[in-house]
Amino acid sequence: MKNELKIPFYLALQSIKRGRKWTLFLTILLMAVAFINLIFVSALFNGIVEGSNQQIKSTLTGNVYMAPKEGQTNIDAKDKLLSDVKRIDGVQEVTSGFQVPARIEKGSRSGTWPVIAIDPASYAKVIDISGHMYQGKYLDSNDEDSIILGREIAGGDDVVMDSTSLKGAKVGDKVKLVFDNTEKTFIVKGIFYTKFTESDARAFITEKSFSSLMPTMANKATTINIKTLGTDESKVLTKVQQHYPKIDAFLWSEAAGLMKSVSSSFTSIDVLMTTVGVIIAAITIFIVIYVDIINRRKQIGILRAIGIGPNILISYYIILALVYATLGILLGSFIFYAVLVPYFQVHPFVLPITDAVLNLKWTEYIIRLEIVTWVAVVSGLVPAAIVTRSKMIDEILGK
Amino acid sequence: MLELFWCQLRKHWHKSLSASSYIVWGWYVSLLVNETILCTLYARIIIVSIDTVIRVQGLVKEYGSGDNIVRAIDRANLEIQSGEFLMITGRNGSGKSTLMHLMALLDDFSEGEITLFGNKVSGLKPIAKSKLRLKEVGYIFQEYALIQELTTLENVMLPALMLGSIKHAKEKAHKLLDKVDLGHKENRLPSQLSGGEQQRVAIARALINDPKIIFADEPTANLDSFASKDVLEIFRKLNKDDGITLIMVTHEPEELTYATRTISLKDGKIYEK
Repeated sequence: MKNELKIPFYLALQSIKRGRKWTLFLTILLMAVAFINLIFVSALFNGIVEGSNQQIKSTLTGNVYMAPKEGQTNIDAKDKLLSDVKRIDGVQEVTSGFQVPARIEKGSRSGTWPVIAIDPASYAKVIDISGHMYQGKYLDSNDEDSIILGREIAGGDDVVMDSTSLKGAKVGDKVKLVFDNTEKTFIVKGIFYTKFTESDARAFITEKSFSSLMPTMANKATTINIKTLGTDESKVLTKVQQHYPKIDAFLWSEAAGLMKSVSSSFTSIDVLMTTVGVIIAAITIFIVIYVDIINRRKQIGILRAIGIGPNILISYYIILALVYATLGILLGSFIFYAVLVPYFQVHPFVLPITDAVLNLKWTEYIIRLEIVTWVAVVSGLVPAAIVTRSKMIDEILGK
Repeated sequence: MLELFWCQLRKHWHKSLSASSYIVWGWYVSLLVNETILCTLYARIIIVSIDTVIRVQGLVKEYGSGDNIVRAIDRANLEIQSGEFLMITGRNGSGKSTLMHLMALLDDFSEGEITLFGNKVSGLKPIAKSKLRLKEVGYIFQEYALIQELTTLENVMLPALMLGSIKHAKEKAHKLLDKVDLGHKENRLPSQLSGGEQQRVAIARALINDPKIIFADEPTANLDSFASKDVLEIFRKLNKDDGITLIMVTHEPEELTYATRTISLKDGKIYEK
């Protein structure tokens, strides 16, 4: 058993030490490319899904959100509710919004979008609209005639739903808000752009201006948004559900809506691409090692002729393949983490839902590492087994 | 072999006795020395005279299939005794190398039987054949067949690594390279050696596991006359001094003078000369 490993290791070491350096480098580079090919798509899809999830949490719902139960239209006594919820363990910040479907008109252009009445200060602590101002300014609590519009409402050449937008509303423009038989003209104070279409297709006004329009809705809300400490979202959700059984409470993921199917599709595509990647990696690694072995047929024949058994020769090629794979994985990981990840942090993929960066989970990395390792083992084993079973004398004489 | 064992046993039994007096002890010692010499000589005589290292019976080797079958060895019979220096001659395509390959377990035969050191080859599994090649057989190719990525020393020590430690293999390889006058070139790669030097490395490699038999397939074919003579002198010493059985294929008539026996092959059939 000792010899079964001693000789293969010795031969592999000498082969790497004395083999052609450029051939070795190109082999390792090919392995690295095959490995990057496996992790890149997964990292990209994961980056998109993670990015969009983050968008949902930070620009739409918070970590946990509360909504009226079915059959009810709003949550009463929201001021007391907010102060009570804030005292729950694990809650960092809490805010509320009153959402109404409203018609927004600017000149000949008009459309119906959700308009949300908020307390700008507390809302900014949970939902990050203030940090995504594209033009103008965020709302102040005392604003009465100001409105901020998402870019999907304001319009612009590069927005997704430009055809149904106000086609170029600017800061300072007057827009008419029509809802529930009430209408009021607001001045566009700012335009925000989160790059998350669902968020950007909303408009915000202050609670103060909403109360003046609909005094009966004061101290009422349609959603309560909660930002949690750390990642204990589920625990906070459970506590909220226990404290307020008459109000529905959900995790942010329940509001993912379209993104849920997008994520699911990405997972399927990822599996498909990974399978294709594995096949490509397997074929690449197999060819690399097979060519290497074919080039060493004479050497294998000589080794067999001097009494080195087939199992030892197969072990030699498996070890050689594992060395190639390990070095390829190391080089691939270095290129991925030291070059590609930082590059895409600076130059992210611009998508309608988020600016996606590469985000590879460790579990995914380990799985792909194992895949490449096993592929290398098989790629070393199969050709070596074929060659060691062929006629020794033909190998030596190069027939 | 039994006689050799009996002699050794008696020798060790005598060793373990406590001598009653210096005279008796001295008498014993003289007796043992004489006995050891006699035992060794006797054993040598037994091995040389009665050990058939290779027996070839009705051997057939065919290539191809269907109507394209070519019979390279045609019902060959041969017995090679321990200590022989057998040279095989014949024209190109007569089957010399094929016969060597078959006897050295490098290739499989179609019919007949080869018995190598009492082992019927047809019943041996590939691993058993590998072990026989490793421990009992040395093979020297016309084209040297050295591993190009390994140094002279590493090429020689490689078969010994299978049986012992790196240190032991290195020591043995050093000695053998000195024996073939290449001790000063042990760190060179094969590409940095002349043809004659490469062939001497191949000889050292063939000797590393103390084989009982060495096959050499036209070992001088690619060498000049000086290098050829060097190689043949090494073979003569190995055969005469170390008692190694040598089987060599050659085209050169003048080389036949080194042989103790010569056979020739024609159309796959063996003819004694």
